[in-house]
Amino acid sequence: MKPSFGEKIYLLAVYLVLAVAGLLCLLPLVHIASVSSSSLQAVASGHVTFYPIGFSLDAYKQLIEGTPIMRSFLNSVQITVFGVIFSMLFTILAAYPLTRSYFIGRRTYTFGIVFTMLFGGGLIPTYLTIRSLELINTYWSLWLPGLVSVFNLLVLRTFMENIPTEVDEASRIDGCGEWRYLLRIVLPLSTPVLATLALFYGVGYWNAFFNVLMFINEPAKFNLAVLVQQMIQSQTMLSQMNAASGSSEQIMLTPEMVNAAAIIIMVLPMMAVYPFLQRHFVKGVMIGAVKG
Amino acid sequence: MIRLWRRNIPLYMMFVPVIIFFILFKYVPMFGAVIAFKKYNFADGILHSPWVGWDNFKLLFSTPTTLQIIRNTLVISLLSIFVGFPFPIMLAIMLNEVRRMWFKKVVQTLVYLPHFFSWIIVSGIVITVFSQQNGLVSGVWESLTGSTYPFLYREGSWLAIFVGSGIWKEAGFSAIIYLAALTSIDTTLYEAASMDGASRWRQIWHVTLPGLRLTIVLMFILSMGRVMEVGFDQVYMLQNSTVSNISEVISTYIYKIGLMGSQFSLTAALGLFESLVSLILVLIANGIARRYGNGLW
Repeated sequence: MKPSFGEKIYLLAVYLVLAVAGLLCLLPLVHIASVSSSSLQAVASGHVTFYPIGFSLDAYKQLIEGTPIMRSFLNSVQITVFGVIFSMLFTILAAYPLTRSYFIGRRTYTFGIVFTMLFGGGLIPTYLTIRSLELINTYWSLWLPGLVSVFNLLVLRTFMENIPTEVDEASRIDGCGEWRYLLRIVLPLSTPVLATLALFYGVGYWNAFFNVLMFINEPAKFNLAVLVQQMIQSQTMLSQMNAASGSSEQIMLTPEMVNAAAIIIMVLPMMAVYPFLQRHFVKGVMIGAVKG
Repeated sequence: MIRLWRRNIPLYMMFVPVIIFFILFKYVPMFGAVIAFKKYNFADGILHSPWVGWDNFKLLFSTPTTLQIIRNTLVISLLSIFVGFPFPIMLAIMLNEVRRMWFKKVVQTLVYLPHFFSWIIVSGIVITVFSQQNGLVSGVWESLTGSTYPFLYREGSWLAIFVGSGIWKEAGFSAIIYLAALTSIDTTLYEAASMDGASRWRQIWHVTLPGLRLTIVLMFILSMGRVMEVGFDQVYMLQNSTVSNISEVISTYIYKIGLMGSQFSLTAALGLFESLVSLILVLIANGIARRYGNGLW
């Protein structure tokens, strides 16, 4: 059946709106990248849009030489790598027993875990707990409170439950113990969902901000998010002061450019892994959606 | 029976660390919330600080500042929920109409991307783009109207930017769930509808939307649980002293007054109030949905 004229217009509109939506998501980032790599004059005059004008990497040079961004970058890497390992380990250890029908107390534990998703003690009691455990100013304060995400746990449990039971029975007859069954059969079969969860945890740790702000007081231990936030905050104060005093004088290098460079550095690792993991996370979200 | 217990030994070896984690970092803080009914001081700790009954709550609900903060929280989160709610649905429906797979893939890749940026990044972009001095939007605005406008320093435009940046970041990713639901709609329904001469619009109205009803209800219940909270990162990054009348919310207040100002008991009371209202809202939303056979549990 040939599409009618009205349908053609309709489809054209759909494609157009979607194209605009896609561009809207990309262009702000392109703009930031352009600002970070343009010349000072071009940025100050406000002519930079979606491509660099008078290409220069001075902002990056100033960022690396003038701010502790390299140290923060390494801190972020450390927080993310160890965080993902710990979180994945505990999520697997939590999910697997909950899929075993003969696990004593299974329903009670499931309820106890899901309940923490609906109700929590709040910020202050959590902070006091962390402090009484003397974890302030250590990265354990970032890894431990959010060790297991209940949502991720439910996604993994649902996935493991769907592994055919014939596999289970066959390996039982071969005399396979729980640990070996988990390591040799269940985990290899779960690789796609494990990759998704690792991505979710990784993004969470990489982007961690509030916990770092709360629990880490030594600037040497700040991660990228807190460092970038402080840079942006000081820029806002600066521009407010400029606006108040009415002076149009610019400070040597507009801090905007340096901030833009910092934003790009923080986004870059994410952009690097994103294409590889995209097909996985769509699947992961769908599993979670079916049995949230 | 003994065999069953023995079979459970390896499982418990796996699970005991998990139990310890949940007790230590979820349930201990839950009981730590009793300091909302105490006058907490460092020397006595949570257990031995003196009880004060409902005093903290009375103080909370008689202080204009805290009442305004609760009101701000409700205004901002309800606006975000209700204005933002249709976007992922529309996006999913439109993506579902696309037949050219490469186009669909490209658009999906782009609209999912902002979800993975932290609020620090998104706010940094927002502040740069709306900066009054040489921001991109301000430049366009200036060439249109001849004067600059302090977008981030007026309450109306600040709210719009706040809600808009939330939609920008999450609408694409939230669409995944609706897309998943759309794949489960029986395609013969569309064929039947188009046989009957239903236009694309009528097909969306009579086939697609009813097919999405369950998911929409589910997402709505989940969003009810967030009515009392406005994500800390976003507000904290975007707020400034000029718009603090509308931008100070529960989470930022607890951080500034509670943690920085050491008003532990008072803000713990505020936090407990927030958690309880959220729990009640989820239960009510689920109860209503269950009455129509769509409950979450």
